[in-house]
Amino acid sequence: MSANSPNTSTLTISPLVTKKKSKDYFQTPPFAPHNTQQNPQHHHRLFSSPNISKTTTTTATNSAHPLSNEDEEIPLTQADKLRLWRHDALMQHHYVTAIYVGDKVLSLTDDPNDAFWLAQVHYSNGNYQIARNLLSGPKFEDSVSCRYLAGLCLIKLEKFDEALDIIGEVNPFKADHSIKNPDGGIKLEASMCYLRGLIYSKQNNFEKAKECYKEAVLVDVKCFEAFSELVSNHLMTPDEEWELLNLLNFDDADNNNELVKLLYTTRLNKYKNVNLFEEAEQRLKDEYSLNENVDILLSRADLLFIQCRFQQCLELCEKIIQKDELNLSVLPNYLSCLHELGGKNKLFLMAHKLAENYPNHCITWLAIGIYYFSIKKTNDARMFFSKASMLNPNFGPAWIGFSHTFAAEGEHEQAISAYATASRLFPGIHLPNLFLGMQYLQMNNLTLAHEYLMSSYFICPTDPLLLNELGVLYYHRAQLSKAESFFQRALGAAKNLDSDAKAWSSIHCNLGHVYRRLNIHDKALNHFQKVLRISRKDVNVHSAIGLLYLKIGKISKAIEVLHIALSIQPNDPIALDLLNKSLESNLHITNKKLLSDNLSLTGVRQSSNIAFESSSSSLPPKAQVLQTPLNKPVKNLKFIGEDKKRDLDLIVEDLKRGEDSSDDDDDDDEIMEIESD
Amino acid sequence: MDFEQQVELRLALAESAKVLQELNLYHGSKWSSEALNGLVKPSNEKTVVIFQQLKRRQNTSFLAELTPQEEFLEFLEQDKVLVANSYFNFKELDRCSYVLKDCVSSKALFIKLYAMYLSGEKKKDDAAGGVLGQQGGKAQNLKLTQILKELENYKASIGNKVEDPFLLYLYGLVAIKMNDNTLAQELFYRSLTIYPFNWACWSELIASLTSFSEGSSILHKFTKNSKFVENPLYGVMLKFFKVTINQEFFQQFSELYDDLNYLLEIFPHFSFLKIQKALISYNALDYSTAESIFDDVLVSDPLRLDDMDTYSNILYVMEKKPKLAFLAQFAAQIDNFRPETCCIVANYYSLKFDHQKAIMYYKRALALNKNCLSAWTLMGHEFVELKNSHAAIESYRMAVDTNNKDFRAWYGLGQAYEVLDMHLYSLYYYQRACALKPLDKRMWQAVGNCCEKLGEYEDSIKAYKKGLSVSAEMDPVILFKLAKLYQAIKDTSNAAVFMKLCLDEEINEGVTNETAKARLWLAKHSMESHSWQQAYTYASEMTHGTSHEIEEARGIAREARAKINGRMNESIL
Repeated sequence: MSANSPNTSTLTISPLVTKKKSKDYFQTPPFAPHNTQQNPQHHHRLFSSPNISKTTTTTATNSAHPLSNEDEEIPLTQADKLRLWRHDALMQHHYVTAIYVGDKVLSLTDDPNDAFWLAQVHYSNGNYQIARNLLSGPKFEDSVSCRYLAGLCLIKLEKFDEALDIIGEVNPFKADHSIKNPDGGIKLEASMCYLRGLIYSKQNNFEKAKECYKEAVLVDVKCFEAFSELVSNHLMTPDEEWELLNLLNFDDADNNNELVKLLYTTRLNKYKNVNLFEEAEQRLKDEYSLNENVDILLSRADLLFIQCRFQQCLELCEKIIQKDELNLSVLPNYLSCLHELGGKNKLFLMAHKLAENYPNHCITWLAIGIYYFSIKKTNDARMFFSKASMLNPNFGPAWIGFSHTFAAEGEHEQAISAYATASRLFPGIHLPNLFLGMQYLQMNNLTLAHEYLMSSYFICPTDPLLLNELGVLYYHRAQLSKAESFFQRALGAAKNLDSDAKAWSSIHCNLGHVYRRLNIHDKALNHFQKVLRISRKDVNVHSAIGLLYLKIGKISKAIEVLHIALSIQPNDPIALDLLNKSLESNLHITNKKLLSDNLSLTGVRQSSNIAFESSSSSLPPKAQVLQTPLNKPVKNLKFIGEDKKRDLDLIVEDLKRGEDSSDDDDDDDEIMEIESD
Repeated sequence: MDFEQQVELRLALAESAKVLQELNLYHGSKWSSEALNGLVKPSNEKTVVIFQQLKRRQNTSFLAELTPQEEFLEFLEQDKVLVANSYFNFKELDRCSYVLKDCVSSKALFIKLYAMYLSGEKKKDDAAGGVLGQQGGKAQNLKLTQILKELENYKASIGNKVEDPFLLYLYGLVAIKMNDNTLAQELFYRSLTIYPFNWACWSELIASLTSFSEGSSILHKFTKNSKFVENPLYGVMLKFFKVTINQEFFQQFSELYDDLNYLLEIFPHFSFLKIQKALISYNALDYSTAESIFDDVLVSDPLRLDDMDTYSNILYVMEKKPKLAFLAQFAAQIDNFRPETCCIVANYYSLKFDHQKAIMYYKRALALNKNCLSAWTLMGHEFVELKNSHAAIESYRMAVDTNNKDFRAWYGLGQAYEVLDMHLYSLYYYQRACALKPLDKRMWQAVGNCCEKLGEYEDSIKAYKKGLSVSAEMDPVILFKLAKLYQAIKDTSNAAVFMKLCLDEEINEGVTNETAKARLWLAKHSMESHSWQQAYTYASEMTHGTSHEIEEARGIAREARAKINGRMNESIL
């Protein structure tokens, strides 16, 4: 096989490495100075440029004899020795030496491989333009490795079109797909595919980028770079991800195939096949004793986060941070958990720590943004979120946070456009669509809201918040039974996930409203009471309970509850209105009841005057008349709203309250969205 | 109660004082130990017998016996509980619950959750921003959900075993804060059937009751429970409960005095009981008896400040200024910064019409203890004096929030809203007051007045009639009002009846404005019905009233006489 093949890695052309036996390079050699003398025959073969080496390859493969025999056979040439010098200088980061020596080797041999290694030195040194210039021109064009490096340099220089020219718009090596890479490294073909994907994604062509990344992983499963891009940027829908996993050929990883497969499985989204994930995690722990490995813990944290078990997730994240203080990949989850659980102080500390260590990393500015968002300084938060997304335009959490700042201020239009960007960037997560749906719901655009919520629903049918939003949507469309079923499902999902009580209080609230509209008062009351057990701060819940009591004729209870509502928010118009109505009916119903009731009671105690007796005897029939409305809520309503117009008022109130409840949900969602990274 | 039982009672109270102390339930522990010391002092030879008896039954316990595992568990966690308790004593509540975070024995769990509960309450009060602060209504105890969760976990973990009475009590406390009174009462009830010697639990149960009927149904439940029937010691605790609820709901009947005397026989030196007796007298408007009992308590237990604020209320009502001043000085000497002291001083200033200062002291009392019941209401009264209706409403509202059995606060709310011309609102509050004190004619008058203002004359008439029916003697004011109301609904004959009744009261009450007006009205009415003679009689006897009224009466008399004369003339002719 040619050394200049897209099916090999740079290992093939790397000094020292190729064709070595495992004992030579898997472990630290017992005595270092022997390095250079160990494998002279192979060095010879390795150093030579792919073009020239054709002859030697055959000899090398033929002469696969015990090392000791060959060791002494071929002495090192002068160029070989310089190459070793150059290589070691590079490894020890003596760039000046490496450049100086490499330049001389190149002049001596004019070999594309030497050009590649010299360019490698320049690249490591940050001189992308120099490396690019070195590799340009027809001289080295045939070398795959040179082309790869040239493309990489151009990406670094942000010359994407030129890079694409070099890499090719489509994979030029499609034909020899199935050939296995013999040297154990990453196939250059896969790397080139990855580069192509990178270019497309920089050019905002996410569909093509996704295809290229997929191709890269398919060509060589070891191209984790591409896999990671795909998964961590949520470029694929959950189903596609699992499909891809099944297509992958893990034999590329030789005897590590099982391990790699398990590792990749833990990286996939946690929306589906949680059992597969659990199994993979268990096996990794049992068979490979990776139970304390940070990446495994990270996957577990992801799962916990998706399940809304924020407290547990936070604990796990803290554990990870303890092991590895500046692990960046744990941070998005950690930060959102802190935001969710109100850990402002820790957010502050973390933001400062990051700003010290990574002043130019997007996550730093995300952390600062989240901190400001937590302390409700929306404007500052927006500034920092936008800074984060400027540093890395593909950074999802920043985009979502940015949109949240608009949503928090009720700027629906801007929020929608920001969420739309996020949803374009991450087709694989349901959150941006969910938020879009919520925004449209708030703007009362039910059709669009429905569309977005449903598309989110297809990605993740189990998210209680999404189910809740769908319930709200149907509530607004007056399809109450559908709304009820969605809310019930949301409740079930929330309970299954064992998530925080706070998260499901708004579901209870919404169910309460649905039952109220369906005139199932006891169920409605029951749900509202549950909300109150969790939080007593919501005026609307209290007003709704007041309305219910009013409907079932417990007027004094209604008044009591409405008073509580007004003590929370003294000028709430709905509560005030309801209170006035209930006080009115208090005058008409309760008061009369009180008066008549007590007459009978006290009549026993004191019946001194004849005049009173006559009046007390006239009362009972009246009391009965009054009792009927108490037993029949429908009639009672007549007291509340004496004419049609008043009834309309009630309906308007209903609507208002429904809207409010969806507002509530927003609050909960905010927590979730930041996690979306 | 025989001797044997008395010894047992001694044993039970001593145990409860100790157990409650260990659980940091200070109020309950104080009550039990005071009760223990309030028992009849035995004679010398009896003391020896008691000593021997106690020695014999050293291991008698009124708590459920621990299983060996539980005992071992408590042993394991003993050290942590010790350190937690000392933190608790230093008011390091969060630290206390943190130390116990992994403990599972019911005792450790109780201390942990109780500390958590108290810390949550404290933070809530801090967040409320002081007395009548901005955040007053909005602050809430954030620890409740967590406590609830742990209690539910515990409940699931023990299965069918006997529940821990103290955890049940704590559960009840949480339920109260969640505004779930029915659940709370159920939990307190269960706790008390397991272990009745926890006065803290009884008093929370009493505080959770909103009406006397609720109280009597719970009482009924207790009396039907076999434990309370069979065991006389349980019966004693139940009697305490009975006396206290009857006192709190202003009930007066002979059975109450029997119970009280029964308890006083067993606990002749127990200040709590004496105070209950005083309060019952106070509620029966028998101020002098109440005063003498309080004096007695002050002598026997001179440094006791508990309930002395109530004493100052009595002195205030009796307008015994010097005695109140003495009490204020006395209390200030004992402890200047007790809520009771502040209330007494505030009462003193209020009696001197120094309302600003009074409010200051009430505020101080409330800052020291937010649940100081009477202070809220009294502060409301002071604000009314200062014509600050909004502040008054706010404090009355806090009063009914902390204790919704306080009819004065409800009545005060009604008055405050009446001043603001919001009669619909004030009607509601008067109704509440009325429901608490149906035998007080003032309540009914207030309701009637409100109904009148709202144009509901019929209701108003009913209310006033009820007012009349509950008062022992006829009140000319009410009678006159009734007559006016009948006039308003054009029922002149009834109006005339009540005017007449009102006028008749002149014999008992002497001439008042109302009777005078009634007389004038009757005179006019007689004129209209052409009974000249009657009109003349009424009008000529008019001696009281404004000059205008007297003038009018004279006019009527003159006219009536003219008519009589004319008719006489006619008949002569």
